[in-house]
Amino acid sequence: MKLRIGLLMLVCVGVSVLQAVLPLLLRVRDARADLLLCVVLYLALHDEWVQGGALSLFAGYLSDLGSAMPVGLYSFLAVLTFVVIRLAASAFKTDRGPRVVVLAVAASLVHSLFASLLFRFFVQGGGVFRLHVAGALWSAVATGLGGLFVFAVLRRIDEGFRQHEPAAIGRGF
Amino acid sequence: MLAPRARFSRGAVRSLLRRYREPIFVALLLAGPFLVFAARWRPLPLQVANRAIVAMTAPVERALTLAVGGMVDTWTGYVWLHDVRQANVELRRQLLRERQQSQRAAELLAENARLKGLLDFADKERPVRMLPATVVAVGASPHSHSLRIARGSEDGVQRGAAVVSQEGVVGTVAQITAAYADVQLITSPLSAVPALSQRTRSRSTVRGTGDITRARLEYALRTDDLQDGDLLVTAGGAGFFPKGLHIGRVANVQRRATGMFLGADVLPAVDFSRLDEVMVVISDPGAPAGPDGGIAPSASSAAGAEARP
Repeated sequence: MKLRIGLLMLVCVGVSVLQAVLPLLLRVRDARADLLLCVVLYLALHDEWVQGGALSLFAGYLSDLGSAMPVGLYSFLAVLTFVVIRLAASAFKTDRGPRVVVLAVAASLVHSLFASLLFRFFVQGGGVFRLHVAGALWSAVATGLGGLFVFAVLRRIDEGFRQHEPAAIGRGF
Repeated sequence: MLAPRARFSRGAVRSLLRRYREPIFVALLLAGPFLVFAARWRPLPLQVANRAIVAMTAPVERALTLAVGGMVDTWTGYVWLHDVRQANVELRRQLLRERQQSQRAAELLAENARLKGLLDFADKERPVRMLPATVVAVGASPHSHSLRIARGSEDGVQRGAAVVSQEGVVGTVAQITAAYADVQLITSPLSAVPALSQRTRSRSTVRGTGDITRARLEYALRTDDLQDGDLLVTAGGAGFFPKGLHIGRVANVQRRATGMFLGADVLPAVDFSRLDEVMVVISDPGAPAGPDGGIAPSASSAAGAEARP
């Protein structure tokens, strides 16, 4: 189990590196995928409260890092996303194909909206932070497509673990 | 009499804690970052962890950027050359135009220095030097407005240092490690740059809104003759950007019937999605203050070597 946690943390770091480098290399302005959000979604659908929550906090912390925004904003949003999706996990019959895309797109849009609202209300002088709708939509689409990739990688990792220690993986859904 | 009750209550609390272990843990996970965010608190362990993670990820980001950038350069520089002849002709024409402008600017500069000398005018701008830096990554979150550059405190970069590109103002250094620095773009909602209209010389502030394609103009007087398309440059001043750097152009000027200030958008001069190299402005107390100590917003700063304006 410790190995799985370590591996998931490494995946988070790798995903954050990809997320930081790809927009620069592809010259993408708006359509930036939030792959760390996809990791949080996967954790919410597959992990237990304590472990998934802690890993979501780590994923959010990586988003916070170097964002040049007030520390804690994305960490809080990541844990909040984890809690909301975890509570609604029974509504998702499967985590494959189009459902992943729909879930990731919706989560990305809500995430953008909450980020702008929290910033507006809690940061001094943050009243000018506007939700850039077109940018948020493009980002949500990219996140949806990125979700397929992230879910596939994480599912593969979990399948590998399930083959070796079937009982040690989180309870699933 | 009290001891069993106390034992009972302690036991009850313990059993409650055990029973609601998960909700309590998750509530703490939510409360921690929220308090840090709402109070704008920067705990020391977090800063240490930040440095450790940046030290681990930034070299990987740099290697990836350099490797893929190198492959793209090889492709576009050696293999994909079908438009080169046409581009060459166009560039030669452009060079001729630029040379004419450069000669004219040199004459004006000399005239300006002569007139300043006549007036015995001492420029108050601090002497600065420009440090070229490679952009290795952007902020991990899609909503972030930051860049990571391969220059840090070891190179003399300080927190708050201005970062510019050939086109104009990019942002300021927000976070720093020994070899890397995170730059907060002027489009970040936390950014505010004192500005000057090049045409009317009226002062205002350019504030980021979180939209990478436009910022907001603040504190521009309603009586100012600002118009769409007017160029805004940095106003200078201690602790800010050197004077005269391009910020962007004014758009959507709105004059309301009441109030002191007009509303307008600013279209940044820099395309932040196409930045490969930037220059960090470092104050240089050792250098003598020249007659025009500020740096000119020219595109001539050679990449790859430190340039003294």
